[in-house]
Amino acid sequence: MGIIMILFTIIGGITLSAQSAINGSFSRRAGTIETTFLTFITGSMLLALIILFFGQGNIFAIFDAPLWQLSAVFLGVIFLLFNVFAVTKIGVIATSITVIIGQLVISVVIDHFGWFNSLIIPLDTKRWFALLFMLIALYFIFKGNKRSVVESKQQK
Amino acid sequence: MRFIAYIFALLAGMALSFEGAIYGELGENIGKLETSFYNFIVGAIILGLLWLFFGKGNLSYAVKAPKWSLLGGVLGVVYLTAIVISIPFVGVGITMVAVILGQLIMSMVIEHFGWLGTNKVKINREKVLAVISMMIALILVN
Repeated sequence: MGIIMILFTIIGGITLSAQSAINGSFSRRAGTIETTFLTFITGSMLLALIILFFGQGNIFAIFDAPLWQLSAVFLGVIFLLFNVFAVTKIGVIATSITVIIGQLVISVVIDHFGWFNSLIIPLDTKRWFALLFMLIALYFIFKGNKRSVVESKQQK
Repeated sequence: MRFIAYIFALLAGMALSFEGAIYGELGENIGKLETSFYNFIVGAIILGLLWLFFGKGNLSYAVKAPKWSLLGGVLGVVYLTAIVISIPFVGVGITMVAVILGQLIMSMVIEHFGWLGTNKVKINREKVLAVISMMIALILVN
């Protein structure tokens, strides 16, 4: 089950990058707020259809859910708004790298303290090494990105 | 201006992890698909207000734009539903490393071929090494 979940989530990451690129292209003509608005509108329409046919939960339980759980929507708005803004200024890869740094730090911290009732997964030696390899990866991608920019400038 | 873009991207990433953790909880309460729906519908309301008061762009471009450039919302639905389902099973850390792996590979492929209206940037040795390091990290976190 775990492996399937991880594969499924990798697909989630793939769609996230594709979304960044697409929204970046769209916002150059339509504007940041407009692009984010359209993303939320079309997403709502699609999910309304999916829930009508496949929804097994109870959407009306939303009125009984604790407010801190509902406040996550502001985080979703901030992510998309800031992401659309950044992609048009610094490109898809640089935006992805920087978003990733923020994601990593916070997600390992959340696991460590078990915030928001998530699984508690302490920051042990293995995870420190994992963080180290992520830093190495970020370094390589930053360097590789810089080299491609220099090379593409030389060709011109 | 570029500096501000980096700060915004960093805040976006932090928001993304917090969002995932909190929605994992809400998903247990009201259902996974319902959680995604809640996010998109209330997000649309917030953005609708922002757009009314601060929108300076051109929303009607949506009618003229190439159809593929309207798919951002559909892709967002896949992403959010995937993490809401995954976090209660494997934790926020592993979920985010998997998301990151997908992001890294895809953003390189996109820029390598110049897909989706991006500037073409070729893949090189450093970038391949980066993906390998991420895979090692994924195994270590697990």
